[in-house]
Amino acid sequence: MLRRLGLLATVLAVAGCGSGTEDLARRAADEFASAVSAGDSARICSLLTERAREHVDCAAVDLPGGEVEEVVVWGDAARARTASDTLFLRELAVGWRVSGAGCHPVPDRPYSCEVGGP
Amino acid sequence: MKKFLRDNGLGLAFGVLFLGSLVGQAFSGNADVNARRLADGGDPIGLWQYVLSSDFAVDVAENWQSEYLQFFLFIFATVWLMQRGSNESKLADRLGPESDEQQYLGRHARSESPPWARAGGWRTRLYSNSLGLVMLGLFLGSWLTQSIAGRSAYNNEQLVDFQDPASWWDYVLSADFWNRSLQNWQSEFLAIGSMAIFSVYLRQRGSSESKPVGAPHDRTDVSG
Repeated sequence: MLRRLGLLATVLAVAGCGSGTEDLARRAADEFASAVSAGDSARICSLLTERAREHVDCAAVDLPGGEVEEVVVWGDAARARTASDTLFLRELAVGWRVSGAGCHPVPDRPYSCEVGGP
Repeated sequence: MKKFLRDNGLGLAFGVLFLGSLVGQAFSGNADVNARRLADGGDPIGLWQYVLSSDFAVDVAENWQSEYLQFFLFIFATVWLMQRGSNESKLADRLGPESDEQQYLGRHARSESPPWARAGGWRTRLYSNSLGLVMLGLFLGSWLTQSIAGRSAYNNEQLVDFQDPASWWDYVLSADFWNRSLQNWQSEFLAIGSMAIFSVYLRQRGSSESKPVGAPHDRTDVSG
């Protein structure tokens, strides 16, 4: 019986992995959107990946912000959407970080992002 | 024990080779994925995390499906098609499913024949195609696994590259899915076709996959 309960717990833990990861990605996207809305440049910078931070003046970032409405996660990458913005995120050892923000779709090409991006 | 090893040498040897290769694939695949992750700004992952990832699953499944497709097609093709001079082929007068007498079915069953060869009806029909059907099932299962794991790996790459993920239907119609499938299929079909032709003219002394060394080139349906 104990063995069966252990197996059930394992199955539930594995099944829950996906939504747990999605929650963490959503939390990072929410934090980033809040920092953008508050104009908190230090917080914005700390939530960007190293690569996204390279060519950005965090104090001058001008992005739409807003509440995160949708998050999709595949492996160590995610896309989050607010009402007026698309963000891309990566899962690093330090947690989820934004690799692209202010992104707009370009037909048959990668998104074009105001911060980070391809 | 010694007799068991001798009687099961082929299965055991290839089982060990399979496991050794799979472990080797896990290590080399993990190193390859980590190199790519570092190049695109990600962090490396451990071996166990890689073995549980869609990257590993799709690489394994795409090879499995092609192997089982190869065997499924070869098993069914050799019922109807022949290659004169090849020990992989039947003789021209035996093409097709053959008679019950030739296949030891029903009242022609031998005392040591499997029970379903004697049973008649759906059981004999099913058992008469069981080898091909199992290969077909393994092929379809592996191909489905490839499509699911492949979509997951593909969508990860899409997001890393700042592009939208694909639905399962979009993925099975994508260049990535068909490139993975066809690059494996072409090599399997080449191997089968070349083996059928080579076995007409070339020999391997003592191998059941070859005719006897002294057998003439146009002699079909013999192995040594």
